[in-house]
Amino acid sequence: MQTWNPATLPADDNVNPHVFCVALSGEWFMAKGAMLAYYGDVRFEAVTAYSSVASWVAARFSSPVYVQDWVVAAGHGKVLLGDRGFDLNAYDLDDGNLTIKANNLLAFDQRLELKQSIVPGFVTLLGTGKFIASSNGPVIFVEPPFRADPDALLGWADCPSPSVHHDTEWMSASMAGMLQGAMGRASGEERQYDFTGQGTVLLQSSEIAREDPAVLRLIESQTQLLTTSQAGTLGQRLVARAQQQQH
Amino acid sequence: MPFETVNSKVVRARVSPQAPVLARRGAMLGYSGRVGFRPVRGQGGGMAGFLGAAVSGETNPMMATEGQGEVLYGYRGLHVTVLELDGSAPLVCEADRLLAHDAGLQTSVQFLGSGGVRAAVGGAMTGQGLFTTNVHGRGAVALLSHGGAFPLQVAGTSIGVDPQAYVGHVGQLQVDVAARMGLRDAVGRGSGEAFQLRISGSGTVYVQASEQKF
Repeated sequence: MQTWNPATLPADDNVNPHVFCVALSGEWFMAKGAMLAYYGDVRFEAVTAYSSVASWVAARFSSPVYVQDWVVAAGHGKVLLGDRGFDLNAYDLDDGNLTIKANNLLAFDQRLELKQSIVPGFVTLLGTGKFIASSNGPVIFVEPPFRADPDALLGWADCPSPSVHHDTEWMSASMAGMLQGAMGRASGEERQYDFTGQGTVLLQSSEIAREDPAVLRLIESQTQLLTTSQAGTLGQRLVARAQQQQH
Repeated sequence: MPFETVNSKVVRARVSPQAPVLARRGAMLGYSGRVGFRPVRGQGGGMAGFLGAAVSGETNPMMATEGQGEVLYGYRGLHVTVLELDGSAPLVCEADRLLAHDAGLQTSVQFLGSGGVRAAVGGAMTGQGLFTTNVHGRGAVALLSHGGAFPLQVAGTSIGVDPQAYVGHVGQLQVDVAARMGLRDAVGRGSGEAFQLRISGSGTVYVQASEQKF
């Protein structure tokens, strides 16, 4: 087993399939908890705090829902990244766009711009630069037309955002009145993300569930679309569901 | 070398009457030969060690593997890293990361960090054990990690380590819990990397590729 030191660690490359080394010289955005260890003179500041000293941060990080889950790493040194023992890969974007599951994005350099995807739980990176993402097992690349299981979907590049496809049999059963309402009826494989157009879809072996705190904030912010009485109804249903799951 | 890696998550130990092995209880996967298993307390060092273990909670149910044969060890699909200790410096790690080690090695409980209330508060908040286990002597140790442990050298300089990713260390190293942020950060609104272990001196630090413990 090789013992690494600052000189032998690779620059912007994998140390092993599960560990990536960023040769930091300047600033990178990093997800909280992605840093395993570092050599050198590196500071980790909350994105919110760092934006007060660097005004460009607000222009690059365009997602209020995710901002509290990210830090800016600034300085010079070697930073080692890891996530749940997953496989790590670096991707280079060249004036492109790529949307990825927010939980699987570990870091991106400050030239890239991050925005929230229309699809909840996903973020989009735009521009030219490098980013690091994790996947459960190696990443599988496929081309549309393709339907992906939401758990296995890691992201997509260059193609339009997906629509939601429901299994035809499930739909006909649903319309026949055997199933009703959207809540509490999700049972398995009846729902997929449907990709069309030109581009690439990224898949991983099924996701190990990890709570994404941003999803709650995201859905909460969308409840502003509801009227007061609708919000009340939703509240009652959520209480009912919580009570049901306790039994 | 009594431990031979079968794959990244399983090791094979050769046990003989001269060289028994201590292992975590429940970690035996299978064996061949005339081998017996006997439960022991995880901490050596007589009464002092027993007290230390009781006070710190830094204890681990272990079993002695004795006889003549080959035993496979693994635990919950965690990665196993085999270290060879040359006796010049102890291995410092949390007790529940010990999968197995030569029975000739001694274990004891140690207080981690430079001490003081500040370090204690830092340790409590990161979930990192304040007390750790020292493994002394010459022999082999099989360590558990989530995602696989890799060694990082510290020579004169210092290294920052995420407390959740820290596995253990060997050498003349000083570990400080650096809680350099204010209280505002402790409640989760600041930088996620607010708590760090600053490790300086000369030696080797083992870090895992995950923030999950087990």
